[in-house]
Amino acid sequence: MGDILVITEHLKGEFQDITFEMLGKAKELAGASGGQCVAVTFGSMNGKAGELGVADSVISVGGSDDFNPESYAAAVQSVVSAKSPSLVMVGSTSMGMDIANSVATALELPTVSYCMNMSASGSGFSCTSSLYGGKMNVVTDVAGSAVAMILAGAFNADAGKSPGSPSVEDFSADSGAGKVRFKQLIEPEAADVDITQSEILVAVGRGIGSKDDIELAEELAEVLDADLACSRPLVDAGWMSKAHQVGKSGMKVKPKVYIALGISGAPEHIEGMKSSSTIIAINSDKNAPIFDVAHYGMAEDLFDVVEELVEELED
Amino acid sequence: MLSPNEQIAFILLVIICGALAFQGFNRIFKTVKSGANADRSDNLIGRFITALIDVFLQKPIAKARPIVSMFHSFIFFGFSFYLLVNVNDILEAFVPGWTTIGSDNIFANLFNVFADIFSVFVLVGMVFFLYRRFVQKPKVMEFNANVKLHPGVSAGGLKKDSLIVGIFILIHVGSRWLGTAMHLAENGHTDSWLPTASIMSGMFSNWSHASLETGIHVTWWLAMGLIVMFLPYFPRSKHIHLMIAPVNLALGRRTARGAMDGITNSASPGSKTLSDLPWPQVLDSWACIMCTRCHEVCPAHESGTPLSPSALEINKRYFINEQGNGLFNGAGKTSLLEYAISEDAMWACTTCYACVEVCPVGNEPMMDILELRRNQVFDAKMPDELADVLRSLDEQGNSFNESARRRSKWSKKLDFKLKDATKEPVKYLWYVGDFASFNQNCQDTTRKVAEVLTAAGVDFGIMGKKEKSAGNDVRRVGEEGLFDVLAEQNIETIEKCEFEEIFTTDPHTFNSLKNEYPERGGNYPVKHYSTLLLELIKNGDIELKKKLDIKATYHDPCYLGRYNGIYDDPRDVMKLCGIDLVEMPRNKENSFCCGAGGGQIWLPDHDDMTQRPSENRIEEAVAVGVNNFTVACPKDMTMYADAAKTSGNEDTMAVKDIIDFVLEAMDLPEEKLTGLQDEQDN
Amino acid sequence: MKIVVPLKQVPDLVEDLEVDASGKALDTDDIKFKLNEFDDHALEEAILLKESGAADEVVAMAIDSDGADKMLFTAIAKGADKAVKLTGGNPSDSHQLGKAFANALETEGYDMVFTGVQSVDDRDGQLGPIVASYLGAPCVSVVSGVSVSGGTAVVHKEYSGGMMGEFEVDMPAVLGIQAAKKAPRYAPVSKIRQVQETASIEEVSMGDLGGGSGSNVASMAPPAKGSGAKMLDDVEDLIEVLKDKGVI
Repeated sequence: MGDILVITEHLKGEFQDITFEMLGKAKELAGASGGQCVAVTFGSMNGKAGELGVADSVISVGGSDDFNPESYAAAVQSVVSAKSPSLVMVGSTSMGMDIANSVATALELPTVSYCMNMSASGSGFSCTSSLYGGKMNVVTDVAGSAVAMILAGAFNADAGKSPGSPSVEDFSADSGAGKVRFKQLIEPEAADVDITQSEILVAVGRGIGSKDDIELAEELAEVLDADLACSRPLVDAGWMSKAHQVGKSGMKVKPKVYIALGISGAPEHIEGMKSSSTIIAINSDKNAPIFDVAHYGMAEDLFDVVEELVEELED
Repeated sequence: MLSPNEQIAFILLVIICGALAFQGFNRIFKTVKSGANADRSDNLIGRFITALIDVFLQKPIAKARPIVSMFHSFIFFGFSFYLLVNVNDILEAFVPGWTTIGSDNIFANLFNVFADIFSVFVLVGMVFFLYRRFVQKPKVMEFNANVKLHPGVSAGGLKKDSLIVGIFILIHVGSRWLGTAMHLAENGHTDSWLPTASIMSGMFSNWSHASLETGIHVTWWLAMGLIVMFLPYFPRSKHIHLMIAPVNLALGRRTARGAMDGITNSASPGSKTLSDLPWPQVLDSWACIMCTRCHEVCPAHESGTPLSPSALEINKRYFINEQGNGLFNGAGKTSLLEYAISEDAMWACTTCYACVEVCPVGNEPMMDILELRRNQVFDAKMPDELADVLRSLDEQGNSFNESARRRSKWSKKLDFKLKDATKEPVKYLWYVGDFASFNQNCQDTTRKVAEVLTAAGVDFGIMGKKEKSAGNDVRRVGEEGLFDVLAEQNIETIEKCEFEEIFTTDPHTFNSLKNEYPERGGNYPVKHYSTLLLELIKNGDIELKKKLDIKATYHDPCYLGRYNGIYDDPRDVMKLCGIDLVEMPRNKENSFCCGAGGGQIWLPDHDDMTQRPSENRIEEAVAVGVNNFTVACPKDMTMYADAAKTSGNEDTMAVKDIIDFVLEAMDLPEEKLTGLQDEQDN
Repeated sequence: MKIVVPLKQVPDLVEDLEVDASGKALDTDDIKFKLNEFDDHALEEAILLKESGAADEVVAMAIDSDGADKMLFTAIAKGADKAVKLTGGNPSDSHQLGKAFANALETEGYDMVFTGVQSVDDRDGQLGPIVASYLGAPCVSVVSGVSVSGGTAVVHKEYSGGMMGEFEVDMPAVLGIQAAKKAPRYAPVSKIRQVQETASIEEVSMGDLGGGSGSNVASMAPPAKGSGAKMLDDVEDLIEVLKDKGVI
């Protein structure tokens, strides 16, 4: 049985949570199969190998500290070619997608997207993916080398956080054709609110219907002394600013209470809020995936509920 | 009695002014002709005879503002008679010795007395109108501040036109009246066939003969000269409605109100410029008398939005006048949205038909708006919310972004199964419609209809998930292509069913099925459920056991009442249930729209909206002292249920559907009501 | 500059989804399909670039299927110049789909390929980078802002927390589009119908699809309801919960 390679992800000099989530799981799987858990770091992140104590060893490919889809993918491809792992775990993230697909296609390895669960199975692995906006779970069995993209928040980050001193191997990797060049990191515009610090969030999704009706959610937010948040489609439509976006390409929030109004519960959104202590979902579709992750729910028309709620609370 | 020089001068004046007037009329003709095709040539003689009779009886104007209309009829009859008077005046001027004053001829005397009295009528009427526009200045004659107005209009053009016309009439009629008085003074005695002139002649009793003669000539020239000089002004002024209104009324639309015109140019549907409009709608610009009756009844204008059908027509005319011949040299390519109506206003129309209904000269501003929408939508220019709804209709056949398979989910709460009309023959095919199926405020009503019909043993069925929105409002927001697709698919589904009649609870659906589907190959007998309920009650299938002792008012849905003339069936149903029906002031064809039609129910309220039309209507009901507001349309149900809350009348005004009364009056035994127990307890 | 936009149809998530008899795939019998919303964004971004003068040709491309013609005519109605339909095969996963498009792209020629960043059913990987790999072209995905100058594109790649990375990409290249500058435009049905009469779709063989993803679905099922949310009956209950959690 080969090793399990974990492609670490970092931003502005810090390892992202997805790295630890994958390490924890990889360690568990490697343990069961008798292989090693190997982390791959980029640029000068090998300097922080001490944080990757869960891994048995670290491969440092060097190169740029700034993520570059082309050079990072080329580097990982060199490593995978050389090491023939039984599994390559990459984050199902903006950075991970470029790497995973490129490497897997070039090396003709099976790929599995949106993994929310994995287990060893026979000589390979069994991956459960969340598809169709969270409405279906699909199980794929892969044998031999495979590349799996892991959903952020699918596994526990704590299981992967252990200081230690894994051996670090410097690996001379391919750096790609140079057709993609990193220019700069663009910080988000200063926002009037930092929802990652909010205690209570009232989040609106497509179910709100129109920009006008967001007013209703604002009333509720005001009455609860909460901040407003939303899912990506509302930002795309220009109804709310990016500062309020919760999800994979938005903010990761962990408020005490997260009230989801008219949000269906697609994995990309869940990623951003599943760590909330209490999730209350209101959606007229009783089959909406959000109810699987929410603690409390009401399968009612959100306008009726919120109107009544605001009225009661204002008394 | 004119001197030869005077006669020559008059003839020259007639020729010059006549030529100028002809130019003006010619421009009108050319502009109207440049409009798009429309066939109004059927039964021309009948059309004109009917129009002339209607005008003579002053019927179109009497539809609103009764007192004002009375004063108008003073002027109308007076001025009509003055045609004869002017002929007489010319005879007097050119035929030596011709006069009707002091004659023994009975016709001359009758002519005199009418001329005398009508002169006063016209003067009184004119003073009233000038007083109304310049002193009383009723609010209803003002446009909302946000309405797009041609600069000429904002600069007070309407007042100027009214003043010119008013002063002209006062002088024309006034001087002729005084002239007659002077004639009498000259003759030295009064004439009982000229009562008021006789009274006035006292003023001139001590004038010398020479002064009186001068006076008579002066008043003749003031009267006749002015009217000749006025001829070229006619084509530029609203005064031309005298001639254009009867024509406009005669050539008006005779097809069903609820059937929109087809598309004339599929490469560029709808209208962008003036000449894209069908020619009768170009003619509307000249028929318009700027009376603002249309925006007085317009729910969009009343609620503060920038839409004024009156401004639309007025702006068209002002633009045409401003451009003159430039209209045919390029200015005609200017989009109507630049000068006649703003995009906002165009999207604010609820297509309630009130403006067309009330217009005394047969104008159809709403049709302009529908054509403009078609053109905009073809270029995908529409509010984002509308695009989302149209996508939903295209993808799932409903405007609620719900899976088509959930269309008959409302029926799962009933404790009996409904027949699937696509699988077995039924007597009545029930076309349920989007709102009745999906909207949570309406589903209870839909279930009650099923309950009532089942209890009455009626054989009916629904089409379930194969039914799609009939598309009435899709067509009215301008997406003709999507309407075609929906109609095609619906007709295909209906053709698979075996049934005798179709009925529906939704007047919008009813309208399209009845008036627009036949030309697409879907020709079926269609009824609104109020008609069906009435039949069933009358033939005993529905047994009404209880007389409900309730006072209620009834709101006429636009697409049932104004569009399709059905006012009595729902009222009869209510009365048979024992309801004490109290009418609101704006009832039947004057009903005030709830504000949902024309796509408004899919769009956010305009920022400038001061009060929703539906709230305004609820207040009207409160004012007549009832606690029950009755509707016969699912959109009305949801609009008014909401409006009762938002206007603060939730506890005093119950919004009911006619089916509620029928169900209650049937007094069914408990076990038949199990499907509804939950709803009734809520 | 020529932009080719591969389009894909996916099940409309508004539907109630069910597993078919095999237990491994979606029951597609009664459900409606629609254009992948990210592909719609990709098409919109391409058309916006054409309207601004940065691109001069937009080509829409799709695999032959039931709704393919309508999808392609709609693309033309929105502003695409040409539509190409790939026939003669039945791609079973993202890799075969990618291979089909890559084959066609090699014949068609391109400066840029814009495709939706992901779709709801791309179990075995995202189309953009897969196509790029077969073509040997550079790829950046999760892009939400594209501008072009000369033979290079400058793109903004979205990271989490609202951060973005700015990259320069040499053409020819592939971009996986997350969001266009504006919401995808509506195509009026009347326009689509008009296009159906005047335009024609070019048909091209999709060629060899290769071995595919190398993995197969073992089973498919809706997520176990199990714990799930505690469903509340009315607003009073909701208020109790809020009080309990210290919100009010």
